[in-house]
Amino acid sequence: MERFTLLLIQSFEAVKAFKLRTFFCLVSVALGIAAITIIVAATEGAYKKAFDIVASFGPDSVMVMSGSDEARAIGQREKTITLDDVEATRQAFPTAYIVIPTTWAGSVNVSYKGNRYQTQIVGSSSDYSQAWTWPVVEGSDFTDEDIRRYANVGIMGQEVARELFGDQSPVGKFVQVRNLPVQIVGVLSERGTSPGGSSLDNRIVMPYTTVMKKLQNESRYVVGMRLRFTDLENVDGRVEELKRLLRYRHRIPDGQPEDFRIFTPKDIVKFLVALTGSLVVFIGIVGVISLIVAGFVLANLFLLSVKERVKEIGVRRAVGARKKDILMQFLTEAVMITTAGGVVGFILGVISAQLLTYVAEFPVYFSWKAFAIGLVLSWVVGVGFGLHPARQAANLEPIEAIRT
Amino acid sequence: MASPVCIMENITKSFHVGDQDLQVLKGINLTIEQGEFTAIMGTSGSGKSTLMNLMGCLDVPTSGRFILAGRDVTQLNDDELSELRNEHIGFVFQSFYLLPYATVLENVLVPTLYREKKKDRVRDRAVELLTLVGLEERIKFRPTQLSGGEQQRVAICRALINDPELLLADEPTGQLDSRTAEEIMNVLTRANERGKTVVVITHDADIAAYARRIIQIRDGIISE
Repeated sequence: MERFTLLLIQSFEAVKAFKLRTFFCLVSVALGIAAITIIVAATEGAYKKAFDIVASFGPDSVMVMSGSDEARAIGQREKTITLDDVEATRQAFPTAYIVIPTTWAGSVNVSYKGNRYQTQIVGSSSDYSQAWTWPVVEGSDFTDEDIRRYANVGIMGQEVARELFGDQSPVGKFVQVRNLPVQIVGVLSERGTSPGGSSLDNRIVMPYTTVMKKLQNESRYVVGMRLRFTDLENVDGRVEELKRLLRYRHRIPDGQPEDFRIFTPKDIVKFLVALTGSLVVFIGIVGVISLIVAGFVLANLFLLSVKERVKEIGVRRAVGARKKDILMQFLTEAVMITTAGGVVGFILGVISAQLLTYVAEFPVYFSWKAFAIGLVLSWVVGVGFGLHPARQAANLEPIEAIRT
Repeated sequence: MASPVCIMENITKSFHVGDQDLQVLKGINLTIEQGEFTAIMGTSGSGKSTLMNLMGCLDVPTSGRFILAGRDVTQLNDDELSELRNEHIGFVFQSFYLLPYATVLENVLVPTLYREKKKDRVRDRAVELLTLVGLEERIKFRPTQLSGGEQQRVAICRALINDPELLLADEPTGQLDSRTAEEIMNVLTRANERGKTVVVITHDADIAAYARRIIQIRDGIISE
């Protein structure tokens, strides 16, 4: 044990003594590890965010959206789902405990006593809060009765509530939605931003009947519908059945693309991982390249160092160091430097990731995993690239080394 | 009576130089008893460095029988040779060869780093040795802060830390002025008086005069 301590102390003295070598190796390793740290943190952040979203979206939930992928890609919003489709779906799926139509109108002007704001109007049936696992924190949801009566009522997101009412409670007050006076009956909890980056709290949810008739002049079509299933384990199968049902109802021949799209929690995870993925690949390539460069910097500087320290190696061999002792010594020095580089790199990674989240909405999450991966990689670089110079040192002939 | 520290019988050593073999040692017969103080004298090219490398187990002979500290050196592999050097031989070099980045104390402790049989309180022993050569105030210094004579005294302490049978000094005073050389030779003499077998390799007759036995080497052959 004492010998091991002595080895560490002497290696540390050498690391301190050959400052330039230490500095360059440390910096190059640190840059590589910083990049790797960001990747791990970004990947973890993306997954964590994805699972947060899935948890709030509901793992048992499915969303059906009107319009083919092609139409959506060029910005067309054709409505293809009808209220009859919703009703037929409700009949066909006994395990779907929620089937609600959803429709919306974007960028609608709303006002309250001279305060104006643009918001999204969402039309839904009375179980909106339950369907989206989105609690009403003040007041209450609207009722089935409101749906039937085309009532001018709504529940409000936090952002629009703040903009129109400030610190006041909106519950019971009337706001102007376009020219329609609407009474606010409840306020939704804070929800944050969607994976795409838009605020989810800027919305007013109203009975779909009211939205269709009084705001959209629409009698049949909605934007989509939302389902939740009690048999969570069968969701994949249910999605296939639902697809078949809607294809049949829309009379889409085999081989033709659907005029609707079904989203599941899996799609959300895929979307977010794809979003993060390109950045991860980019930083990943940069990180791996800089680690390899760091490795070559280390190998070269250590080869120089071995040449410079021929006498030292000779003396150590003369006083009894075996080849493997010399090998160990140089590897210890290399790993000591790369470990320090790993720690510095982790700190650099944390700082730059903070900057990254500051500039762009980008989920990062630091755990012991990011640190451990960085540390292990720094050891791999230290041992992997330190091995060749260390072998050179170990295989020096002692009499060559100490020849005066 | 204890067995000899070193027995060499008909030792030869050849090197390949270009296409031909160059025989540097041409049949050395030499026995060194425990407690002897021996000087090996020769000019450069006489083969004295080669003999010193063999005696220090840094190299192996081409032919002949060589026993050191009771071990047949020609039968040992690289690791065993290292172990033998570590336990039984202490080296003192002309250019000291201290580690520039380590302290005086750490330099003295280097051989203990490679010692298989663990010894207690090596640190205390290092301080004790340094005190004997008058460097107790300098243990935290770096070699560059010391004079040549002081550096060589540190090197002698390093050679003695593992308590070897044989102290092998190769031109130990070659880089020192004559007064400092005298100090160093006195240190070696005192080590010999306390029972160490000392072999000094030199070309300087004044240095050889400290030894009780002087061996001349010329063209790879020795004579007393």
